[in-house]
Amino acid sequence: MDKLLDLKDIPQLADLPNPPKQVYFIGHPTKQLFDNCVAIVGTRAITEYGKRVIESLVPKLVFEKKVIVSGFMRGVDQYAHRTCVENGGKTIAVLGWGIDTVLSLEDKKLADSIVSHNGVLLSEWQTQRPTLWTFPVRNRIVAALAREVYIIEAGLKSGSLITANWAIKLKRKLFAVPGPITSRVSEGTNILIANGLAKMWCGIQQPTQKSSDDPILRALEQEPLTIDQISRNLNKPIAELGASLSLLLLSGQIVERDGVYYKK
Amino acid sequence: MLTKIRSTANIGLTTIPIDVEVDVATAGFPGFTIVGLASKAVDEARERVKTAIINSGFDFPPKKITVNLAPADIPKDGAAYDLPIAVGILIASEQLPEETVFDLKKQFFYGELSLDGTLRPTRGVLLLALFAKNITGSQLFVPETSANEASVVDIPVYPVPTLHRLIQHFIQIKPLDPLSYLPIKDALDMEPPEFDLAEIAGQEQAKRAIIIAASGGHNMLMFGPPGTGKTMLARALPGILPPLTEQEALEVTRIYSISGLLPPGASLITKRPFRAPHHGVSTVGLIGGGSNPMPGEVSLAHLGVLFLDETPEFPRSALESLRQPMEDGTVEIVRAAGHVRYPASFTLLAAINPCPCGYLGHPKRECICSQRQIVKYRHRISGPILDRIDLHVSVSVIAVDKLSQSLKNNPNAITSKQAKTLVVSARAIQTKRFTETKIYTNSQMKNKDVKRFCVLSPESENILKLASETYNFSARSYIRMIKVARTIADLDRKKDILPTHIAEALQYKQMV
Repeated sequence: MDKLLDLKDIPQLADLPNPPKQVYFIGHPTKQLFDNCVAIVGTRAITEYGKRVIESLVPKLVFEKKVIVSGFMRGVDQYAHRTCVENGGKTIAVLGWGIDTVLSLEDKKLADSIVSHNGVLLSEWQTQRPTLWTFPVRNRIVAALAREVYIIEAGLKSGSLITANWAIKLKRKLFAVPGPITSRVSEGTNILIANGLAKMWCGIQQPTQKSSDDPILRALEQEPLTIDQISRNLNKPIAELGASLSLLLLSGQIVERDGVYYKK
Repeated sequence: MLTKIRSTANIGLTTIPIDVEVDVATAGFPGFTIVGLASKAVDEARERVKTAIINSGFDFPPKKITVNLAPADIPKDGAAYDLPIAVGILIASEQLPEETVFDLKKQFFYGELSLDGTLRPTRGVLLLALFAKNITGSQLFVPETSANEASVVDIPVYPVPTLHRLIQHFIQIKPLDPLSYLPIKDALDMEPPEFDLAEIAGQEQAKRAIIIAASGGHNMLMFGPPGTGKTMLARALPGILPPLTEQEALEVTRIYSISGLLPPGASLITKRPFRAPHHGVSTVGLIGGGSNPMPGEVSLAHLGVLFLDETPEFPRSALESLRQPMEDGTVEIVRAAGHVRYPASFTLLAAINPCPCGYLGHPKRECICSQRQIVKYRHRISGPILDRIDLHVSVSVIAVDKLSQSLKNNPNAITSKQAKTLVVSARAIQTKRFTETKIYTNSQMKNKDVKRFCVLSPESENILKLASETYNFSARSYIRMIKVARTIADLDRKKDILPTHIAEALQYKQMV
């Protein structure tokens, strides 16, 4: 399925001081695909917070007909690809290895669904094995392709900060998502914001909602909690609380992940 | 002269009467032979018996002695035949008058001899006593250290300290006192639980879940990082289960008696067993086996709790072997020595970490596992096993500073004693409901029982249907939810399953 699109069709790459000599694809690239790209990158060790950020950011971008570019790594990258595909969007995965490398079963599934949604996987190499240096080199392409770069979660030594540096060098718009200062995987993004290197992305501004009457919902508006924490905060018997939470879950007012409840 | 002494052999939990035939011939070369499929341990009885007889102040006849253990085609193992052989030789060599004191058909001899003539603790005494109970007028002569096992059976049991004392008893110089009968009811005392629920801080939902598990006999899986109290919760479970009934206590003690796990001097197991095999356990160790099949951990946990900590670390084959006992409540072991069935009706408590390093999702510590490792780890427990676990509960990390405050003025504070009362009343409701059937608890309901006993109100059914669409329930998990809801309703003393019961049951759906 490898096809060589003319490098001239992707003028953004010319901004790089060291543009790739050629680009290989899986899927069916078109010129238009590269017109309006937004990069979403971040740590492999994604947290629930990161997932929720992506779930609110990606649908908005897909709605604006943007194409999501990312690095096809586990964690933030793949979650962004997946959420984009699930929302019917197009996405570009820039691989950190040669295009001919055989993917693991799970990666293959994601790759197939990217292609079936008219997205592409691309690489500047044909047979290169994934090694330590290939990933940072790949990051320059991610930054170059995009007009805007969003860093969702990144630790202090995260490769996403390399992408951020490229974005600054190439004068792309750089956004970082602020996170709790206690979270390791938000240290990098918080520092980008603190140093003024990135703009802070504060989520989609929603019309202010009327605070709910349900004490459980009110507690969850403040912060995500486990059922045990809610029962301590509200001093409620666990049996009754369990039943109410199940009903709230079914009615879609809250979501649960790994035992922690979030207000939608 | 020829004499016949009675003893027994245990194959699994079945007791078979054995005649120990002893002949001391008047002609022939001196010698001592034991025949009748005797194992090495039985064969070595020759040396023990010979020395014990001499050291007890009797003569070992220098004649041709033949011992036959009849029926000859049943394999015999263990050292319990030492005593009957020794008594047989003393009678056959006419050192002990047979006629006055002996009613050999009704007297059972059982025990291992030591070289100085004292009797050593011997396993399986309870089984012998239960067997002898069916023979009117029977008497037991068993080692003093194991005799208490038999005291719960209402027959004359003579605790024998030494061979010499036994002979003194028979020639009526110094008769032995039979053990006084110990009614089981008195033994079934309410012992304080090992761990009280009140000692466990936080974990409100997990505590509620083990109460539900105890009430309905449901198997349960706990999911959470290390150090969150999974083991403590598990250890608290036996303390809230209803006390053993007389019949159940005997059943459990039988298994421990045959395994030789009763401590010397102990009479009856009165607490529900709690078994926590290490994850290095083999399949045979778990379900039982050996050339003379012995009970495994599943049978030792009969009517109690089997706790598997770090379940995915157990060998896959060992975990899969749990399927039959989880389904049938018994385990069948087939070996060369025969076909043995042991009871194995236990509540399974499985604990698993979220990932191999244990810290996935931990608020403070970082997980170092790769995605691949995590997926592989979780897939080690197969679907069929997970399908047989009704309650899935996540045990979360609790901050240390919250531990102290969570005890005061808390609607969820509960002691093991209060929990036990709840469980006992829920069980009573179930016993009443299932009087006409062969099952005892909600977890044992088959599909047809669920249809018969678990009527859902239309509103409850709607919730369950909606949930089943949202979470993609299989038919099995659908039924499982109803069973758990039935138990919750029983705890609530409600006849019908109300929407809140279904909703609470949904909290314990499968997560992995």
